[in-house]
Amino acid sequence: MHLFRVFARAAVGAAILLSTTALSRAAELSFLTHWAPETVAKLQAAATAYSRSHPDTKITFRAVPFGDLLTTLRASGGGPHGVTMASIYDAWLPDLVKNQLVARAPEPIAAETKSNWPASVIGAASVGGVPYGIPNEIDLYALNYNKKLFAEAGVAGPPKTWDELLSDAKKLTDKSKGQQGFGLINSWTAGVVHPFASLLVSNGGDLVVDGKPTLDTKPAKQTFELYETLIKSGYSVPSMGTADANTTGPYLDNFVSGKTGMIIMANWWESALKAGMGDKFSEIATAPIPVGPSGDKPRSISYSWMTVVNAKAPAEEQKEAWDFLDWLNGPQSGPNGASAMGDILMSMGILPSRNSDVSTFRPRLEGDPFLRGYTETLADAKGFPVLLGGQEFSESLQKTLEAMQFGQLSAAAAQQTAQGDAVQILERNAK
Amino acid sequence: MSEARAARSALKLRTAPLKAIILILIILVAVVAAFPLAWMVLTSLKTPQETMSIPPVWLPATPNLDAYRKVADVLSLGRSFLNSGIIAVVTTAAVDITSLMAGYAFAKHDFRFRDPLFAVLIATMFLPPIVTLIPLYRIVGYLGLNASLMGVVAPNLANAFGVFLMRQFIKGVPNELIEAARLDGASEIRIAFQIVAPAVLPALAALTLFAFVYYWNSYLWPLTVLEGNTEQYPIVVSLSRLLSYNRGAMNTGLVMAGATLAVLPPVMLFVLLQRFFVDSIVASGLSG
Amino acid sequence: MGRGLPSPPRFHETGPRMANRVNLPAFAMLAPATGLIAVFVFIPMALTIWLSLQEWSTQTGFETARFVGLRNFFDIFGSTTVGRDFKTALANTAIYTVLSVAMILPLSVAFGLLVHQKLAPGGVFLRTVLFSTYMVPMIAVALVFSKLYSPTAGPLNQILQWVGLPPSPWLSSPRTALASIVLLNVWQQVGYFTVLAVAGLTQIPAAVLEAATIDGANPLQRFAYIKLPLLGNTLLFSAVIAIINAVQVFEPVALITQGGPVDSTNVLTYHIRRVGIEFAQGGLGSAMAVALMLALVVTIAALFAFARARAGPE
Repeated sequence: MHLFRVFARAAVGAAILLSTTALSRAAELSFLTHWAPETVAKLQAAATAYSRSHPDTKITFRAVPFGDLLTTLRASGGGPHGVTMASIYDAWLPDLVKNQLVARAPEPIAAETKSNWPASVIGAASVGGVPYGIPNEIDLYALNYNKKLFAEAGVAGPPKTWDELLSDAKKLTDKSKGQQGFGLINSWTAGVVHPFASLLVSNGGDLVVDGKPTLDTKPAKQTFELYETLIKSGYSVPSMGTADANTTGPYLDNFVSGKTGMIIMANWWESALKAGMGDKFSEIATAPIPVGPSGDKPRSISYSWMTVVNAKAPAEEQKEAWDFLDWLNGPQSGPNGASAMGDILMSMGILPSRNSDVSTFRPRLEGDPFLRGYTETLADAKGFPVLLGGQEFSESLQKTLEAMQFGQLSAAAAQQTAQGDAVQILERNAK
Repeated sequence: MSEARAARSALKLRTAPLKAIILILIILVAVVAAFPLAWMVLTSLKTPQETMSIPPVWLPATPNLDAYRKVADVLSLGRSFLNSGIIAVVTTAAVDITSLMAGYAFAKHDFRFRDPLFAVLIATMFLPPIVTLIPLYRIVGYLGLNASLMGVVAPNLANAFGVFLMRQFIKGVPNELIEAARLDGASEIRIAFQIVAPAVLPALAALTLFAFVYYWNSYLWPLTVLEGNTEQYPIVVSLSRLLSYNRGAMNTGLVMAGATLAVLPPVMLFVLLQRFFVDSIVASGLSG
Repeated sequence: MGRGLPSPPRFHETGPRMANRVNLPAFAMLAPATGLIAVFVFIPMALTIWLSLQEWSTQTGFETARFVGLRNFFDIFGSTTVGRDFKTALANTAIYTVLSVAMILPLSVAFGLLVHQKLAPGGVFLRTVLFSTYMVPMIAVALVFSKLYSPTAGPLNQILQWVGLPPSPWLSSPRTALASIVLLNVWQQVGYFTVLAVAGLTQIPAAVLEAATIDGANPLQRFAYIKLPLLGNTLLFSAVIAIINAVQVFEPVALITQGGPVDSTNVLTYHIRRVGIEFAQGGLGSAMAVALMLALVVTIAALFAFARARAGPE
């Protein structure tokens, strides 16, 4: 039995070695985010500044890749452990509220939020009129186009209507150069669904009204048909629009390499374009979403992010967490009356949503021609529907749109499938 | 004797064209296999623009080590390598030991329910990890091991694959060897480690290598159980933090640099264990 | 491996029958592996089976589960979106598995022969190259291949053009995406199976081969009549591992295609994670997991029955 003892000793030794590393997680507040390491470092710096005035509050930051943020929250939900604070996407809120995983914002914070953020953004951070989170970033969509390719094709400016969109896309398409007029993304949920929804709202339609899908309407029909026309005429090449889980893949590569004339994309990817294009980034310009035949003016969908607090955390930890979040998103924490959060967002080229942040950063926002295409339409943006089963609804619509892009469904069939599936999914999740 | 030698030299003459064909095949296969590896290393030396260019840039214009500097700067690389090392070494050692013991019991002992027990254990090999992911995660959380390296390691100290592999190879160990040790009064544990283990060294080496590489590169379980606790991230999970829709384009080279470094420890182990795979009997029998 | 070997000795041959059936040293040696597997595999597995009969939100504790009988199973094989998506994922996984095994087994034996032969130099070098692909973390493999597979002017398409073949859309078409993921996985794993094949070849007694050589058997005959039959156990083992690996494929899908385009690469492990965790539908996810387990049990049992039937007449 000698060897048994050796084995047992080795096991105990390993256990001690491992548990000392485990001890490093003392009882402290934790903040879960999907941000990249450089940005987490900035958050860390803000927390360090906060702890100078609040020496009893210790905050550690947890980070997972974006694709794993929701699964991390879901998997640990309900357990005694879970993180104290998390940065979430507004579409996820209703499901988290349903299972009582996130805490209501305490009265003073709710009041403070109400007076400092636009009503639409607060709406996205609330369920049934009750605010649950402090909003931070807001994102919306605009047309991105390559001025050099436009000039080469003899197109004067960005298209303002769908008719112009189609005729410009035609001029910009050049098979011999492997160049497509308009880029449609696939294999990435938000990338597929959000531009479609932006075109839909610019055509006077909506994805969902009062919790019921409205993909069976005329504006929706026209949007499906626009996609079909783009594909059938060869102005959009589906295989040029594949995303991967990292860089948006060939979709991004083709646009930064001057193989795609125009696309519809969110403001946050400015930094990706800059990295991919270097000096050539100046060839890219932005413009509002073209207006459809049933639309009145350029619109876009918007979505927002917020920080929420774990409802299962002990009461005193919850209070400490809200105090920190209030400070982080408040006017005292950043430079020149901006919030530390706003400052961090701006470092990534992401739009902050707090009114005072928007005014503090206005010169910078207006001086950035790329972002101007977005800020111009911010007032007319419609929030992406926030409802129970939102993620499942989005992924289902994504699949149907892709089936149409790859020629498996006609516009009419895609419209019918999308509406039928959406009804089924939303009904099941509302139960 | 001389007849046999003549037959062999005639054989060598006849095999000359075959030798050439084999050599060409080896080179061809090696080139195809190594091509993506070369692409990985080359990409780690490129600028961000070069990593995204269409048509692709095959060779970086001015190869530089910026990506290596940056990845070390952005991620706490040393800590991540240490975490990977702890995870891989502890699990591999434990799997070797538990598999050897259980494999020996199954191969050379007889006891009630042996075959059904073996079948049930082996059945767990077919269980995709996703099937038990959530309950397992909750159990580990219940034991208070979540968000720590302990939690990564604990469920992986034994596995059915190892038991199966050892049992298969130990079956081939001559019984006389074991009987002789028993007659000398050796305990069964001693026989397992001092008689059986040396006899199946190539298989143990293979198991060590497979386990080390598997746990060094494991992704889903550490990602899940560590709950975003980046201090405890192994290198592979740390690298995944660089994937991001808005920063990813800048980080492709960094991931490649980090991955190139992450391959080195398993490669070193492979080179170290290399000699256990060389079968001296076959070598001397055919080339003599 | 087990062929023609004497059956394992009865322990304490001389003792009474009951004594050798309760074998304490054997139990002591089994305890660590069995105990660990019981706690970390069997209990979670039992929980999954129990959850498959419940309606349960993954983001809550087990106490909120509500018994619904077999409803989850009817749902996942039904005609709603839940059933349609599950059946697509099941089919994708089956295709993926068949393609992987069909490519990996012959390649591993072919490469194994190249590594194992002593006629030409370079065998060890080849094994090192092949196995080093297995050591690359999937995150790097994913990024490398998503670039190599670039659909328009990607490196692989350029190479195809040089040798006069038409380009492929690779990951960017629902028709070729799944096969491209298979190819990527074969590239990464074939070294592992080659090492297994070499281990099997090494076990073939040299005397048998030398005797055949002296009897005038050419290399092809030696392979077909001696090596391949004697590799039976190794091949069965490889096939089993290849099936297991194929069914578990998760990372390339999660890191590159995320199931797309048009669900063409949505394999079961990815889909189970999506439904069971991302959508928090724990009951449905568990039912899918149980269905996957059953499908695997049937496949593996069939494989062993096939192997036994073939080995029987010998």
